[in-house]
Amino acid sequence: MTRRSLNGADWSAMVLAGSDHLARHAEQVNELNVFPVPDGDTGTNMSMTMKAGAEELRRKPQSEIGRAAEVLSKGLLMGARGNSGVILSQLFRGFAQAVAGQRELTVPLFAAGLQQGVDTAYKSVVKPVEGTILTVAREAARHGVALARRTADIGEWMQQVRDKAAETLARTPDMLPVLKQVGVVDSGGQGLVYLYEGFAAYLRSGASAPESGREGGAHVSGAGGRSADFRAASGALAPGSSAAVRQSAQSKIDTESIRFPYDMEFFIRKTASASSRFSEAAFRKELEKDGDSIILIDDGDIVKVHVHSRRPGDVLNAALAYGELTNLHILNMRDQHRDLLRPADERPRAETEPERPGAWGEALGVEAASGVPAVEDPFGADRLPPGQAPHPNAYEIAAFGIVAVSAGEGNGKLLRSLGVDVVINGGQSMNPSTEDLLEAIRSLSVEHVFVLPNNANVLMAAEQAAGLSDRPVTVIPTRSVPQGLAAMFAFREEDSASLNKERMLRAIDRVATGQITRAVRDTRMDGVDIRSGQYIGIKDKSIVAADDDLGEACRKLLADLIAAGDEVVTILTGEGAEESVTEELLAWLEDRYPEAEIERHEGGQPLYPYWFMIESD
Amino acid sequence: MNAAIVTDSTADIPRDVRERLGIDMIPLKVHFGEQSYLDNVDLQPAQFYEKLKASSELPKTSQPSPADFYEVFSRHVQAGRPVISIHLSSAFSGTYQSALLAKSMLEGEGDVTVIDSKSASYGFGMLAVEAAEMARRGASVRDIVDRIERMRKETKLYFLVDTLEYLHKGGRIGKASALFGTLLNIKPILTIDDEGVITPLDKARGQKRAFARIAEMLEAEFGANPLQLTAVVTPGDTAMADELIGMLQQRFDIRRFFRSEIGPVIGTHAGPGTVGLFVRSASLDGQETGA
Repeated sequence: MTRRSLNGADWSAMVLAGSDHLARHAEQVNELNVFPVPDGDTGTNMSMTMKAGAEELRRKPQSEIGRAAEVLSKGLLMGARGNSGVILSQLFRGFAQAVAGQRELTVPLFAAGLQQGVDTAYKSVVKPVEGTILTVAREAARHGVALARRTADIGEWMQQVRDKAAETLARTPDMLPVLKQVGVVDSGGQGLVYLYEGFAAYLRSGASAPESGREGGAHVSGAGGRSADFRAASGALAPGSSAAVRQSAQSKIDTESIRFPYDMEFFIRKTASASSRFSEAAFRKELEKDGDSIILIDDGDIVKVHVHSRRPGDVLNAALAYGELTNLHILNMRDQHRDLLRPADERPRAETEPERPGAWGEALGVEAASGVPAVEDPFGADRLPPGQAPHPNAYEIAAFGIVAVSAGEGNGKLLRSLGVDVVINGGQSMNPSTEDLLEAIRSLSVEHVFVLPNNANVLMAAEQAAGLSDRPVTVIPTRSVPQGLAAMFAFREEDSASLNKERMLRAIDRVATGQITRAVRDTRMDGVDIRSGQYIGIKDKSIVAADDDLGEACRKLLADLIAAGDEVVTILTGEGAEESVTEELLAWLEDRYPEAEIERHEGGQPLYPYWFMIESD
Repeated sequence: MNAAIVTDSTADIPRDVRERLGIDMIPLKVHFGEQSYLDNVDLQPAQFYEKLKASSELPKTSQPSPADFYEVFSRHVQAGRPVISIHLSSAFSGTYQSALLAKSMLEGEGDVTVIDSKSASYGFGMLAVEAAEMARRGASVRDIVDRIERMRKETKLYFLVDTLEYLHKGGRIGKASALFGTLLNIKPILTIDDEGVITPLDKARGQKRAFARIAEMLEAEFGANPLQLTAVVTPGDTAMADELIGMLQQRFDIRRFFRSEIGPVIGTHAGPGTVGLFVRSASLDGQETGA
């Protein structure tokens, strides 16, 4: 079947077919987890994100490609879960921008859409990591652009794009050492290959992709060849990458709230003397002083620079120290944004309009009822003088609200007891979507919201939700519940948002997180041999212990975590913890670390029998 | 004629000091069930904490009646002595109100000054002691009032409670309420603010870090200056308080040190295991604030 163009309906059918194909392989993508831990969920996240987009298309069918892409983009944005899901949503956001206003999609336009999607996704990631879904998307798009002039048939073209994606995927272990070490390809990249595979199959046959049998664990199906060497996989942005979405849903953001309005792109042609002293890290630091969305690509002689800044002059002066500047592009994003807001039908969707019932009134009502403690006058005649409110703050509007993601009932209670207003259950095996996070943010009638994702894989969705919110939101990049607890210890209601952010960031640096879980496969990581079923101890991001005995694995991990001996050690027990092991552990800690202060709480997290929180000064 | 100094039992002034300086003390009351006791009169601190341990419910406290004050005030007024009456923060108790009522009953008959100390325990006990010493030397009411007002401002208060439970139950938790209900071990470092309300200065994870934090705050406030330190402690298990005081004595140049016990009424609201520190620069004057 030859097709030279697609209208909105055809393209939507293609998207649904791709989504279904991805969903059928979600489990296989899940297994591509760098860590041999039981919570790999990249496949589930990507599939659920795609489904949310497809669902939106089903609800609002469009005959024009521009409209259809926009509908999909919005659905994906709200449904995005996990870091890979967020990146997926950014790929299609860029695509939608490229095809905006178009009725039909041709190969060149499709190629331009993929390319803009890649640009958008890269820009949305603070520190893009190569060897992930980003690389796979980029190489596929580049190939698609190169082919566009020669190939008119969309099905044929898409097949080639898919093949290039698969080929790149097979090379991801060469780009990201952790993949090679474990012997897998990148999971997010694999998800994207399945998606493109579904697109190609639909376009070529007019039907969904046939169910491809599992190919011995190597999930780079079809062409691509080398994949069989690899037992496929990884978290696209494995625990550790601090990818974060900075800009999204422009139309829902207040123009003035664009903090760094100048979108700058240029090249530095390094002078001979600068070549040796140019330090990417130092230059990045310089740019970070007053900018974000920084992308630096150091190509030896030439450095590509992308930054959003408040002071373009400072950026240029800093760059001039290294050489000549070429291909300068500077755009005022506030202008762009004002343009975007102009057409009435482009206004923010109704659902993003503030639904806060008069914040003052509500806050007053709530506070008035709860502000005066219900003391049953236990002190007889010794009453407080009339008119003396026992809590002078009782009638002020709440300045801050805090949303935290957590797993386990006990952990949720601990967080609430420290002042968290909304606890979203999830984080380990089920990442909340951007929409889940946004709903939690909106449910609070406060001036400023802090979000604690408490999981590396929720970080990007949290940033995305922050970008969509109509009130100030600060995401504190907590990667574990212990980090979230530490951030809450540092939080002070009476301080400003910026001071609190600073305090919370410092606090999460002072806490080490230990996690005990069971290995789901044999592997060797961080110098530790691991057999499936063994208990493994993870310190922050690396595996430091593996043992058949739960207590022994805990002791090995704790010995690694406790440095000075006078730390505050908090044990959070989860599903699979054993009372006798816990008791033994407490006795061992008291004996070995007499200076430590030890606490134990029932956390209730699934999959991890123990979480340890180690606080030092 | 020299001024008469009156205070209430929550000033936690040891009996011998009070008697030596001739300070009049009006007791509040503590009620265990049907049984009532006069604070620091027929219920001493040590006894009280034993009873508290054995009791299944929290005792109640009640302020003195205006008549209790009237009786004492009028005795002095009739003798032609001016009266300075110094009391527990009005944010914690109606004691100050009772004293004010008594004063109004003597309107036009004599010179009665009632002071809301906006403090608690020896934080205002030391003011009463200073006032009494000045009065014995013949200082005027005005000089005494000025001096103790200044002294109140120069004195920093830091206190730790074992749990916020007692402050919460008694409705005296003030601005520390945000920290109440925390399931993890957080030690709030508290003070009483200029309004006389309990306010957290900071919070620390665990006792050791709370002690370190207090030392840091003292350093920031007083530098290396010699200090006067007054500590008030609930009797019973004082290991924690001893450790804290020992650490401060090692770390700072403490020229004058005075230690007193927290009495039944304050103990009812702060709970066992409370330690309060009142700190002033020793270079401010040569006057002793304690015994």
